[in-house]
Amino acid sequence: MNGAAPPLDETLDLTGVPCPNNVARALVRLEGLASGAVLAILVDDGEPATNVADGVVADGHELLAREPVGRQWRLLVRRANLP
Amino acid sequence: MSNETRNTAVSLARATGPVRIYLDNAATTKTAPEVIAAMAPYFSESSANASSVHRDGVAAAKGVERARQIVAGRIHAAPDEIVFTSGGAEANNLALQGVFFAHGDRRRHVIVSAVEHATVLRAADWLESLGCRVTRLPVDGAGLIDPADVERALSAETILVSVMYANNEIGSIEPIADIGRLCREHGVAFHTDACQCLTLEPLDVAAQHLDLVSLNAHKLHGPKGVGALYVRDSVRLMPLFHGGGQERHRRAGTLNTPGIVGFGKAVEIAADADAAKMDRLRWAFWRNMEGTIPDVLLNGPHERRLCNNLNVSFRGVEGRRLVRELDEDGIAVGAGSACSSDTSDPSHVLRAIGRSDDDALAAVRFSLSRWTTAAELDEAAALLALAVRRLRNEPRGAAS
Repeated sequence: MNGAAPPLDETLDLTGVPCPNNVARALVRLEGLASGAVLAILVDDGEPATNVADGVVADGHELLAREPVGRQWRLLVRRANLP
Repeated sequence: MSNETRNTAVSLARATGPVRIYLDNAATTKTAPEVIAAMAPYFSESSANASSVHRDGVAAAKGVERARQIVAGRIHAAPDEIVFTSGGAEANNLALQGVFFAHGDRRRHVIVSAVEHATVLRAADWLESLGCRVTRLPVDGAGLIDPADVERALSAETILVSVMYANNEIGSIEPIADIGRLCREHGVAFHTDACQCLTLEPLDVAAQHLDLVSLNAHKLHGPKGVGALYVRDSVRLMPLFHGGGQERHRRAGTLNTPGIVGFGKAVEIAADADAAKMDRLRWAFWRNMEGTIPDVLLNGPHERRLCNNLNVSFRGVEGRRLVRELDEDGIAVGAGSACSSDTSDPSHVLRAIGRSDDDALAAVRFSLSRWTTAAELDEAAALLALAVRRLRNEPRGAAS
């Protein structure tokens, strides 16, 4: 991600949560945020990181960044302007 | 209304098919329309397996996770601490068997109360047959456990105490926070069966020191066939079912997505004011009954009583016959507990509070819902008085 990091509105720790529950929880949390809000999601390496990133994008949200944090990943997601 | 007019009304109602008055909500409640509406998409467009990683699976899993958050939030738990089950019976069995089998050594000790639901008592019997020592604690005349009895029964071998939150037959509300505190001090897991009182009584797993809590949906206008066990993160639990990773390996089996979604909706729409309304209507119903029917005996406490429960013995009347009479009059009530209604033995709960066999067999349970009205209860009280009088006037030995 280029430039200054966007201000975070919330953080969601999904480490240890299996697929697809992690994707579902990310989407449910995003639904509860205001449009444009930024959510940081902590996920396990491998399939969880891929599935959660793909899942939020498929739902219309914007994946701002994907950063390694040890053996995990931190995804920065901007909540879309969805109905 | 005079008795003659009332008797005519009863005859007419029996002939034409009366409007039903449903007062057996402790057995189950009618499913709320909002719940049915919330469930509907999960039978059709969102009916994929909630464990599948494709988009359809994620859509189903969203429903599950939303419900998990709602249920967890209601009892101040973390979502991961909720294990969805097929209902309260499974939750109770998972709690007792799960804790027992998670301990390698079977020479362990479990404490239950004498008035637990059969799914706890029979599970405890099963553990006993496997070598576990089981203590069954007595209750007082109101059906209440003395926490001091729990403390005296605790030993170094004790791995679990199970005391229900609110009794399904007589509505007694046990001092679970006090028992929970004792168990916490002694490092013993504490389970409570809260199937009768989710949304009707405060439930806070932290403040009440609860480690395992059984819940179900159909007592709060949710669907049948779904429930949950709250399991504190630190509690070791062996699953009952093996062969699937669902519910973080604590309960194998495809998730009942529509049921779980309905469970969440039922919890979401339950209003705190419902309990106060039912409490007021219930006592008015009892006063009406007490004022018009001689020789009635309230089973269970006046204080510390679940808001929708009324259990009454009508001396000289067989409870089962009264249930059938009222059924003919258009009123659905329960005789003892629904789960033991296929037996003619006196209720173990009524025996435990010291009732004679005759008084126990004369008991009928009335249980209200948020939809019960004062007019329904007035009608029920009037028909009840007539039905009791009819049965008491029958010649001895008259067959039903």
